[in-house]
Amino acid sequence: MAQSIADLSKEDLFGQGNAGCGGCGAAIAGRQAMKALGSRTIITIPASCMATMGGSNLKTTWQIPFYHTLFEIAPAVSSGIRAALEAQGIEDVNVVSWAGDAGTADIGFQALTGAAERNEHMLHVCYDNEMYMNTGGQTGSQTPMYAITSNMAKGKQVKKKNMLAIMEAHGVDYVASASIAYPLDLIEKFRKAAAKPGFSYIHLLSPCHRGWQIPPEKTIEYARLAVESGLFELYEVDEGVRTRNLEPTFIPVEDYLSSQGRFKNLTPEAIQGIQAGVNKHYGRGE
Amino acid sequence: MSTTLLTGSEAAAYGAKLARIEVLAYYPITPAFPAMERVSKFIDDGELNTRFVRVESDHSALAAALGASLAGSRTFTVTNSQGLLYMTEVVYHTAGLRQPVVMAVANRALSAPHSRFPEQGDAISQGASGWIQLFCENNQEVLDNMLQAFKIAETVRLPVMVNYEGYIQSHTLEEVGIPNQETIDQFLPLNRVRTLDVENPQAVNTVASPEFYMDYKFHQNEAMEQALTVINDVAAEYGKEFGRDWSGLIDTYQMEDAEHAFVAMGSMVSDARIVVDELRKQGQKVGLVKVRAWRPFPAEALREALKNVQLITVCDKNIVFGLGGALGTELKSALYGQDCRVNSYILGLGGRDVTTEEIKKVLELSEKTEKQATASEWFGL
Amino acid sequence: MVKNLPVVPTAKAGSLVETPTGITWRIQYPVILETCNMCLDCTLFCPDGALVQQEGKIVLKVSLCKGCGICANECKENAIEMIPEYSGVKGVFR
Repeated sequence: MAQSIADLSKEDLFGQGNAGCGGCGAAIAGRQAMKALGSRTIITIPASCMATMGGSNLKTTWQIPFYHTLFEIAPAVSSGIRAALEAQGIEDVNVVSWAGDAGTADIGFQALTGAAERNEHMLHVCYDNEMYMNTGGQTGSQTPMYAITSNMAKGKQVKKKNMLAIMEAHGVDYVASASIAYPLDLIEKFRKAAAKPGFSYIHLLSPCHRGWQIPPEKTIEYARLAVESGLFELYEVDEGVRTRNLEPTFIPVEDYLSSQGRFKNLTPEAIQGIQAGVNKHYGRGE
Repeated sequence: MSTTLLTGSEAAAYGAKLARIEVLAYYPITPAFPAMERVSKFIDDGELNTRFVRVESDHSALAAALGASLAGSRTFTVTNSQGLLYMTEVVYHTAGLRQPVVMAVANRALSAPHSRFPEQGDAISQGASGWIQLFCENNQEVLDNMLQAFKIAETVRLPVMVNYEGYIQSHTLEEVGIPNQETIDQFLPLNRVRTLDVENPQAVNTVASPEFYMDYKFHQNEAMEQALTVINDVAAEYGKEFGRDWSGLIDTYQMEDAEHAFVAMGSMVSDARIVVDELRKQGQKVGLVKVRAWRPFPAEALREALKNVQLITVCDKNIVFGLGGALGTELKSALYGQDCRVNSYILGLGGRDVTTEEIKKVLELSEKTEKQATASEWFGL
Repeated sequence: MVKNLPVVPTAKAGSLVETPTGITWRIQYPVILETCNMCLDCTLFCPDGALVQQEGKIVLKVSLCKGCGICANECKENAIEMIPEYSGVKGVFR
């Protein structure tokens, strides 16, 4: 992490006046990311809270070109935009598609995998709050196992799909995870991604206090606990080379999970299982 | 101008080439793919300077074309049938965003059952979408309509579909005159409008409340109504420049003293011209009205052309279930109050042949039918 | 009366800043205390860009603040305190 906050641009290209809930993790992510991307950026956002809070009718919070796309198409639209810019000889513009977990991993997956396979010169960002919040909080592929959502009161029965591994398997220029609790790391990753000639993917954890059933003032705190427990690993794969960006302090996963309303039905066995999974991943034995 | 033998697919491809499209996106589907491949070949041969986005689905094809259009480039895509239905969401969206995308559609029947054969059903399914729709009677018209489509689209700011029938037109060779590039460049100058532009940032497609949505739709429909005039103007301009006037919204043939009119759109029209000539030789006062622009629906022009006709036979290669043939039912509604008999027939579904023989038989049947039992009767079963 | 609207449904960049959403949502607002060490973390943790650096101090743009309390929760120096918008039995709106 090269910079300190004082070195960042003071401009707010997104967020002021936004229609998100007070304490919205997505809004924080957007504000942080724009410090790296700058004003020569075109952003496409499919149906999601992020698109909705971008503005209504004749008002918007965005200071850059922003297009609220149909649910599935953001990476495909971005591919078209990049093609047009190239055809017109315009070179120094970032093209970004910014989607939630549905628009990235589920309904938007087809367009995402297509754009990644073509190694399009663009960045796709998944802002992950681990449920379909814009429609009230239903279960999606990015919802962790056991999480209670608005349409699964007994909790999800299957695992969260590993999007970072999937995108890494596409062999694209840059894949990274980020968390809004580590803004300088996040901003640095956006800078790296924007500089790549091909396709970049950033998967960032942005808690939604309504869906996770946590107090709004603790949005950042939980984004930090997820990383410190080891459950959300901060790493990057740059041209195929994997680097872990932060060694977690390994607080017990229980400290992160049990105080969230969506995990209130977690049994001690389930917690043990999750802890064992984390330990195994980091080579810390059972 | 050079003349050569071209399939309808190739004619469509030449249209895109002469229009100097900047971005191309398509997903292969039968029988539309030869047009796609021909444009790609122009690019590979260095004859066309276009960026190709090799998308992973038809839905993404129109999405990519739309993105490129929003960023200010002239774009083009090709599809039909299942692909068109798959991209329907983006079809409506493109029209609502007022982007001048041009789409060539090699009309094909819709599944189920699964058919790869020609029929107008796929075009009809997009009737409410806000796209202008032109139908071509032969391969020359495919090329000419493609070029006019870009001009119409960029004038009224609505996307345009150019329809021609799968196999019957897409795969059949006909003599086609290809206009030269310089004259087309004057007819279709570069008309760049950037909606997504870092120099002039704005938000596109913010959430619209009831206070605003309906007003946007009103303006969109106004543009459709403006197209009624623009389609005629562009046809006249093209006719003057290139010697082929396809006469705008509709065309009439031998209608001056006609007592029985045949109304249709698409490939049937070229067969109908032959039938009209034959029947005229036998002394029958038959005429033809070709519907070239199906959207916007040329109600006024049709009323005018058919005002003195007692018997009208209209044929549809499509079915709107529970209603009847699209052209037939819409024509009847346009002619409401006019004193005439309108017999509507559905034929040729799923690629069932409609030749001059079938058209003659339909006209004969229609003469004998005082009043049809249903809104549209089925012919050829 | 049909409204006069842009051809493409669009909104002017930054138009929401003048009439921010959430201006009436606030039930508490942050106050920056003297112990602030200008680490600037709060400027990146605020979802609404309401905390800005101005002339060597952290300044609150109150019209943008929704009162979520993230800034106070995160401040490592405990230099931010959330004050209720109104107090008392009947409530006196500030």
